[in-house]
Amino acid sequence: MLISACSGGPDRHAGNGRDEVVVMAASSLADVTEIVFEGRDGVTPVIAGSSTLVAQLAAGADADVLITANSATMEQAASERSVHGEPVLIAVNTLVLATPAGNPGGVTGLTDLARGDLLIGLCATEVPCGELAHQALGEAGIAPAPDTLELNVRALASKLSLGELDAGLVYATDAKMLGLATVDAPELSDHFNGYYIASVAAEPPPHVRAVIADFTKLGSVGAKALYAYGFLGSDRRPVWPVPT
Amino acid sequence: MRRRQRPRSAQAPAATIPSDNVAEPGPARPVSRPPAALTVVGFVALGLLALPVVGLVQRAPWSSLPTLLSESDVLDALRVSLVVSLFAAGACVVLGLPLALVLARCRLRFGGVARAVVMLPMVLPPVVAGTALLFALGRRGLVGQWLDSWFGVSLPFTTAGAVVAAAFVALPFFVVTVEAALRQAGDDLDEAAATLGAGAWGTLLHVTLPTIRPALAAGTALAWARAVGEFGATLTFAGNFPGRTRTLPLETYLALERNPEAAVAISLVLMTVALAVLVTLRDRWMPR
Repeated sequence: MLISACSGGPDRHAGNGRDEVVVMAASSLADVTEIVFEGRDGVTPVIAGSSTLVAQLAAGADADVLITANSATMEQAASERSVHGEPVLIAVNTLVLATPAGNPGGVTGLTDLARGDLLIGLCATEVPCGELAHQALGEAGIAPAPDTLELNVRALASKLSLGELDAGLVYATDAKMLGLATVDAPELSDHFNGYYIASVAAEPPPHVRAVIADFTKLGSVGAKALYAYGFLGSDRRPVWPVPT
Repeated sequence: MRRRQRPRSAQAPAATIPSDNVAEPGPARPVSRPPAALTVVGFVALGLLALPVVGLVQRAPWSSLPTLLSESDVLDALRVSLVVSLFAAGACVVLGLPLALVLARCRLRFGGVARAVVMLPMVLPPVVAGTALLFALGRRGLVGQWLDSWFGVSLPFTTAGAVVAAAFVALPFFVVTVEAALRQAGDDLDEAAATLGAGAWGTLLHVTLPTIRPALAAGTALAWARAVGEFGATLTFAGNFPGRTRTLPLETYLALERNPEAAVAISLVLMTVALAVLVTLRDRWMPR
């Protein structure tokens, strides 16, 4: 520790002389990080929206690891030299066609989102889940007939779970969290948000590398926690950078 | 500031004592001015309320305002807002006046509880109010499931649902204002009218209501203003769909995500409309 602290160099984050590891993670990972860091001493999670975290890092926040909920925010952090090395894709969150438990509307596929007799909910295109849904439906050539364009994915998922809507496109994690039924929609498999992890220091000390490995290693505690919450494994897609 | 001279006035001639400060009331003495310190705090409070408005106005994109506001999204939202808020205000009068009369004039055994229930929508976070409405009037709600299966009526995600949400949060403002006025007016005049042979309806229409006319106007204005600004309950209960349930506050929220300038422009419209209505109402119905 002492040696790296004295070595100086251009990277101000390299070796900050403490054993504590500060992990900045996107809001949707709050539960996952709690599981991963349970019983691990010396790890402090900082939870906030990805863009907020990136802005904090750029402003000089003291952290060792950054995990973002999409590629755009991680790209920004990399371009601002807030993180170093290659960011690693640790999980993806896909859109799913979700219905209330028991599927009362008898939804059978993505084309049912165009049915006028069902109450359909989507996210507004101004928010990420709506943008993703808009892309997916556009590529599938489906003109949806939504009855509401919700301002965030949780609000949409909870209206589905209350049975006030018959079908909607939400993240797999939200569907799992609220116990929604999902209907197979192969058209959605190419539409996801990638979760990326990166080290702040160019050459992170071993205890920081160990925390990163908690998420990146196959079968790691992080990978299991991510899977438990409905995230999909990174093996579904090539790692950084994701072609868009 | 002038008042500070007073303790030192032992050597000073009486004439230096400000005339509005002497014990004997002179004819030109202003009517019951509040203490100077409170006057200052009062103006500070006014500044606190006005400052965000000034902040908004100074950020307004004046040159692009006409373009921003003539977008069809904004016009749609304005139309939905006007329809929803006017119907909600109407519902507040139609439902709120009888409720205020009951609270003010009937000796209710559970009057305290009833008043607390009336105030509840004021205290509830609007999102909670919207969720409660879903539980009550939603398609799977307590009453809503019967509305759905008997009449085929489903309120969520409709303009009527937005009216219900807005009326729910606005109703207390009307009831509290009108009930207070009814209590203050007392029922002496009503009794006199009744003694002179007026019926219940006649007394109400020709004696009670004219007496509390300023409060009726104030209550309606307050309820309407609350309905115009409604966001959380509308979003939760009625959702967000352009031309149907997307009101100006919802449009503003979405505009913040894609074009903050448009959000400022829409807020400006919202404030101008509200100010215009409130000032007009005040001048016309609430003199002084």
